[in-house]
Amino acid sequence: MLKAILKEAWISIAAYKLRTFLTMLGIMIGVAAVVMMVSAGQAVQTKITQTFASMGSNLIIIGPAEIVSGGVRGGRGLPSVTVADTEALKNLKDVDATSYIMPAAVQAVYGSSNYGVSVRGTNPEFLEINNWEIEEGVMFTDKDVKAAKPYAVIGQTVVDELFGLQNPIGKTLRLKGKPFMVIGTLKEKGDGLMGDDQDNVILMPWTTVRQRLEGSERPQFTNIAFVKASTEEKMESVAKRVEYMLRTRHRLKEGVKNDFTIRLMTEMVEKVRSVGFILSALLAAIASISLVVGSIGIMNMMLVSVTERTREIGTRKALGAPNNWIMTQFLAESILISFIGSFIGMIFGVIFSQIGGMALGYEVPISIWSVIVSVTVAVVVGIVSGLMPALKAMRLNPIDALRYQ
Amino acid sequence: MTVKNTTVIDVKHVFKTYFMDGGNSQQVLKDINFQVKSGEFVAIMGPSGSGKSTLMNILGCLDKPTSGTYILDGQDISAKTDMELAKVRGQTIGFVFQNFNLMMKRTIADNVSLPLIYQNIEEKERYKRAVKMLERVNLQGYQDRLPSQISGGMQQRVAIARALINNPAIIFADEPTGNLDSKTSDEIMDLFTDLNKQGITIVLVTHEDDVADFATRMIKISDGHKVYDGLRKEYSKEKETKC
Repeated sequence: MLKAILKEAWISIAAYKLRTFLTMLGIMIGVAAVVMMVSAGQAVQTKITQTFASMGSNLIIIGPAEIVSGGVRGGRGLPSVTVADTEALKNLKDVDATSYIMPAAVQAVYGSSNYGVSVRGTNPEFLEINNWEIEEGVMFTDKDVKAAKPYAVIGQTVVDELFGLQNPIGKTLRLKGKPFMVIGTLKEKGDGLMGDDQDNVILMPWTTVRQRLEGSERPQFTNIAFVKASTEEKMESVAKRVEYMLRTRHRLKEGVKNDFTIRLMTEMVEKVRSVGFILSALLAAIASISLVVGSIGIMNMMLVSVTERTREIGTRKALGAPNNWIMTQFLAESILISFIGSFIGMIFGVIFSQIGGMALGYEVPISIWSVIVSVTVAVVVGIVSGLMPALKAMRLNPIDALRYQ
Repeated sequence: MTVKNTTVIDVKHVFKTYFMDGGNSQQVLKDINFQVKSGEFVAIMGPSGSGKSTLMNILGCLDKPTSGTYILDGQDISAKTDMELAKVRGQTIGFVFQNFNLMMKRTIADNVSLPLIYQNIEEKERYKRAVKMLERVNLQGYQDRLPSQISGGMQQRVAIARALINNPAIIFADEPTGNLDSKTSDEIMDLFTDLNKQGITIVLVTHEDDVADFATRMIKISDGHKVYDGLRKEYSKEKETKC
């Protein structure tokens, strides 16, 4: 019986091709918009996850304390964690490695080329901590740090901008007029979360930075320090130990606030992810407005159809069609329209989001969600917008319907 | 024509009252009684507003009497639900309408076999039976055309084929020639006469005397009462009584 009803419904909607197509168009655009928005949200989330993964997710990040004066929070205080602090933290249980950054922004010169780069003074563990790798040459060693050797390990952007096609290893570049020898190059990392270029970087011993580039009154202090826990599960306990040890080393009495802040990378990932999720939900919600409009279009068309076909309904009833048959047929018509519309809309949505992803250089996942969303939407929209017209058809009195002109 | 002794229609003390908004009511049928035997050809006549259409709706199971009983082919119609009435219409009755009521966008075979859909009969079987039924009304070969491609008389023959496809106990025809010219009318009425000779019971509603002349028996309704019930050829205005 269902097969016969579906066939009757199909023939009926196929008889009015243009009208059916225009009605479907509303649902098509709606579903395509939802699929595209969900894909966009997912692409952003994927990007965020990948970026954090490339930074290493077991990280605990220690920075200066926040300044609070009179209840107003404003900016960061002076660096408070020293190189000696981080060396001590390395001995804590479940800590794999520690590192730190002392930054400097300078102009790098090689031959006739020059380029503005971000210099990071650090220790050799920096690579392990951040999941960075050497492409060619070597990383500097602890000995080089002690001796404050003028060695530079440079990122791919610096390679391209200063050296072009030449092999940079062994060459000497100049920063603030002083010579530094390139001993290694870093593998390409790609853009960071904010679109910043992670490859525009020069790593060198922190001692070298302090002595040759950016002298400081407190040369031992780090701007930012990293502690890498052995596993993600151990992060909480490691963070507690780090806090305890730093408070002890800084001789902070009970009741005195920390002169540093501790952040867990996992927490930051979660925060950014939830922002991404809210963003994609919001986008989908906005896109679904067009679905509501499309659904109203179907309801409108079905109501017109019932009125137009009043005589047909009367005839069908006189010839033995039970009321539920009539109702099911009209419901099937609206479900068919929204189902086909959703299916086509889903395909267009996937195609357009792939094209958009390619154009913007984002990896857009084709998700099972777009299928689930569009099929659910199709059935729900079909039933919701078809129910009222179908009930109207069902309730028609055959005598009146036959007399209808 | 062979009239058998089986009763197809048995109408006893049927009243029909319409209740209007505001508490008014109008009695359209008043104490109607008659029987129709299998194989009869009956014309129901009467001026417009006499109640003959209401009577036809009740006989066709599209409406129920306010009081009284109506037994069709052994089934008490007055006591049935809407769902059961739909089943009776599909299995026991064939309808022929004044304006044919064909689906203009569907093939002639689809139109003829429409009642079979509601009996859950397979598509191939429906088509086969439609072709056979079209032969019976002299429209062999027309099954794949659209109703708009044939004349009005032929369209009514399609409607008659549709009425016959369920092997109904009775055919109800409501002004079947009302939209046709006199020559085509005669062709349609000849077809009804042929079908009647093959044993099919026909009840016809008309207000035209020449159409009624094809029937053997005549029932006349006036102002809600039955005023004549007898042979068509013996009818004269003087014989009308409230019976």
